[in-house]
Amino acid sequence: MEPVYDVVIIGGGMAGLMAAIRLGRAGKHVAIVSRGDPIVCLSTGCIDVLACGGNPLEAVGELPKTHPYRLLSTEFMMEALNDFLSVMAEEGLPYVGSPFENRKVLTPLGAGKTTCLIPQTMAHSTVSSDTRLHVVTFAGLKDFYPGYILSRLPTSEYSVFDAGPCSTLSLATRFETRDFLESFLSWLKGADITADKIALPAVLGWRKALEIKAVIEGELKRPLFEIPTLPPSVAGMRLHRALVRKALKLGVQLYKGRSVSTVEKAGRLVEAVTIEAPGRPIRVNGQAFILSTGSFVGGGLASSRAGVEEVVFHLPVYYPPDRTSWFGERFFPPEHPIEDAGIIVDKEFRPQGVEIDNLFVAGSILAYARVLRYGCGHGLAIVSGEAAASSCLKYLQASAEGYACSRTV
Amino acid sequence: MPVGRKRWKGPLTGSKGEMVTRTDVIIIGGGATGCGIARDLALRGIGHYLIEEGDFARGATGACHGLLHSGARYVVSDPEAAKECIEENRILRRIGKKCIEQTGGLFVRLPGDSKKFRDRFLENCERVGIPTQILSPSRALELVPQLNPELEEAIAVPDCSIDPFRLCLLNIVSSRRRGGVALIHHKVVEIVKEKGRCVGVKALDLFTKQVKEIRAKVVVNATGAWGGKTARLAGCDVPLTLSKGSLIITDHRLTNMVVNRLRPASNGDIIVPNEAVCVAGTTSVDVPDPDETRLESWEMELLIQEASRLIPSFASARIIRGYTGVRPLIKEECATDSRKISRSFKIIDHENGLISIIGGKLTTYRYMAEKMTDLVMDKIGAKAPCLTAEYPLEGQDELSGYPLSKRLADLSDIVCECELVKREEVEQTVNRIGVRYISDIQHRTRLGMGPCQGGFCTYRALGIIHNMGRISIEESRYILEDFLQRRFRGIRPALWGAQLREEQMVEGMYLRILGMGEG
Repeated sequence: MEPVYDVVIIGGGMAGLMAAIRLGRAGKHVAIVSRGDPIVCLSTGCIDVLACGGNPLEAVGELPKTHPYRLLSTEFMMEALNDFLSVMAEEGLPYVGSPFENRKVLTPLGAGKTTCLIPQTMAHSTVSSDTRLHVVTFAGLKDFYPGYILSRLPTSEYSVFDAGPCSTLSLATRFETRDFLESFLSWLKGADITADKIALPAVLGWRKALEIKAVIEGELKRPLFEIPTLPPSVAGMRLHRALVRKALKLGVQLYKGRSVSTVEKAGRLVEAVTIEAPGRPIRVNGQAFILSTGSFVGGGLASSRAGVEEVVFHLPVYYPPDRTSWFGERFFPPEHPIEDAGIIVDKEFRPQGVEIDNLFVAGSILAYARVLRYGCGHGLAIVSGEAAASSCLKYLQASAEGYACSRTV
Repeated sequence: MPVGRKRWKGPLTGSKGEMVTRTDVIIIGGGATGCGIARDLALRGIGHYLIEEGDFARGATGACHGLLHSGARYVVSDPEAAKECIEENRILRRIGKKCIEQTGGLFVRLPGDSKKFRDRFLENCERVGIPTQILSPSRALELVPQLNPELEEAIAVPDCSIDPFRLCLLNIVSSRRRGGVALIHHKVVEIVKEKGRCVGVKALDLFTKQVKEIRAKVVVNATGAWGGKTARLAGCDVPLTLSKGSLIITDHRLTNMVVNRLRPASNGDIIVPNEAVCVAGTTSVDVPDPDETRLESWEMELLIQEASRLIPSFASARIIRGYTGVRPLIKEECATDSRKISRSFKIIDHENGLISIIGGKLTTYRYMAEKMTDLVMDKIGAKAPCLTAEYPLEGQDELSGYPLSKRLADLSDIVCECELVKREEVEQTVNRIGVRYISDIQHRTRLGMGPCQGGFCTYRALGIIHNMGRISIEESRYILEDFLQRRFRGIRPALWGAQLREEQMVEGMYLRILGMGEG
């Protein structure tokens, strides 16, 4: 028997997972087809809603009319972001912050990154130039250099814990063991810290991160915060894992490490996708579909010298026609028209320029999103994921009624 | 091996009280020619200062194919230049083993390419003394399996691949060991004249903004495409034709031999394997200004198209970067096509203490340096024979990270995964040369030369420098932004497919993870 789902979501990143959670909470039978670890695993774990101005939801009004945020009301966006906050609280990875206020978190470059909702392990992350920080790092950790932070916070200091060969991932796993935590604590207590706050790369364990943070703060009698790292990013992976846990609890079927090989359509409907699997391909039937495969980095869009393609459904893609104008002259500031590339959608997040009734699009694959330029990646994923899910629900209800109607006739 | 007789004499005080340094010879320009002259002077015991505006090999030296010509390329159009090439090719293979890979080269004749040209090619190679071997298509395909299988035949010649950065650095080793001084990131802002004679230069340290005055008996202008600009500082003229050539780099080696098209010199008919990558080029476009080095999109298309004729898989290969160099060619009255201008060189004695050298090519740099140094020796009334062909380049055993097998032997604490550069090497480089630009570290260690083009390891290199406490936040910001902008300039023409994807990821990393550009 081939599985039949209410909704099949292609793409298991932030947008796809948030859509799945909303649909799952509404009692729908959902499958996610995910090709690999999504971009959220590479991210800081912080939710950038719109990194301009002090109030991201207010600043949405100043975006160009083409930006996908402009398809949604402030109330809907707020509701979606609050949904996210409640999911994270339920999954033991509480976030702090308000959708109406941007804040700064300290980065490994010593800069203050503008973001909105942040994991509680980073709550004390806002610093000023006179903050006295004690930065802890680990010998041989490749992508963390306290010197960057010290050059901006001159009254700070740093110390290095020798944990043997290590990576961010291995440290997170080892922090969850009592022995490691104890040896770290006794070393840290010997470091004679007088600074106001302690900062260390985001490696404080996986699910126990908050507990571990509390233990260290209790022993050292001062606040501590994590600094998000370059990939592999424990903070980003925690976020991804929490969302996956939630989706699985809601009965979502996750086809992990699978890509779609063929799409079956009949008239104005997508009926099924076939996914590659060991042994034989699996055909997955759905009443409705959501495409949330990401942009270029995520793999939803592919570019060549000839142009840009959407790789699963071969939907029409908007992109600047002249390849030589895809990128601005300078790397920075990031004025690169190619960031506009993506799928143009209507108010229901259905792709435009193609006659399909049961397909919806969410996340950074949306045209004109410019997630790097505006700093709106995870925020867009959350709200457009929820928006696509709510359009899906409306569609499923309408088609069920329509079906019922036609049956009674 | 001889050691220097004359040492740097230390700073003296000039007429107006400013610090003045005296030496015998000033060389302006740190390309292969300038560095070659420095080595030659050093081996003849003559004190000298070399002044370079950027890093070594900044101009055409660093922006060429990295091809040590056998001379075959010029054998039909310019047999004299071809003869210089094969002679120097033999010498360099002897003295510079560690910065040369003896790949051998093929001249490939495709359907439609002139048979008559091929006959003249073979005839002239014989006359000039370039050894050749005619290969059947199947033999050629055994040597380079990726070759266009439709080839008619291939002719093997002793082309090699050469690392121009290392070549410059090794020449400078000989100079430094004998008291020579090389100032990089110093711009010559004035050629000092007294009674109509050039007696020295004022050089601006581009980092500290301090001006140094250096005086010498002779000033040598070895600034390649900038030769005209430099000569004008002394009120002199150098007749140059500037010809821009563009090249592109793939992310891996598609051939282990140099591959040339057997036809009169044209666009995009040479592919050179270099370390882990391949370089294909070039174009030839006359430009008015040596700083005009934009790679046009038509050049990119043309180069891919032509390279794919020789090696079909080039069409789908990942291009990681493009770059351009400007050839300083000798201006000829009636030449309409700069490809037809001789690749030989010319020394111009301005008879006022300034001597310029123009034209030539990387392969003949040593010979050019020898001829120039002979003239300089005459001018300063010193006598010593040229020894640069007699002794191997010094310092080859200490070459950082070389060869690959050495790098593979120890993989701990790698900072640059693409090129296997270790933290220790970065630290050593920083300690040795100070820190000014990330590119200085790149040239000396190959950090950032792979597919990500420094996207990841630049942050690490700069982090190491930070941890060494060497740098202020302003310097750090400047270095990082300068590097990322320059890097982007090279990558921009090649942004599609995998390279575009990687670029967007690197951009996301700097903007959205590291918060670059934010307070």
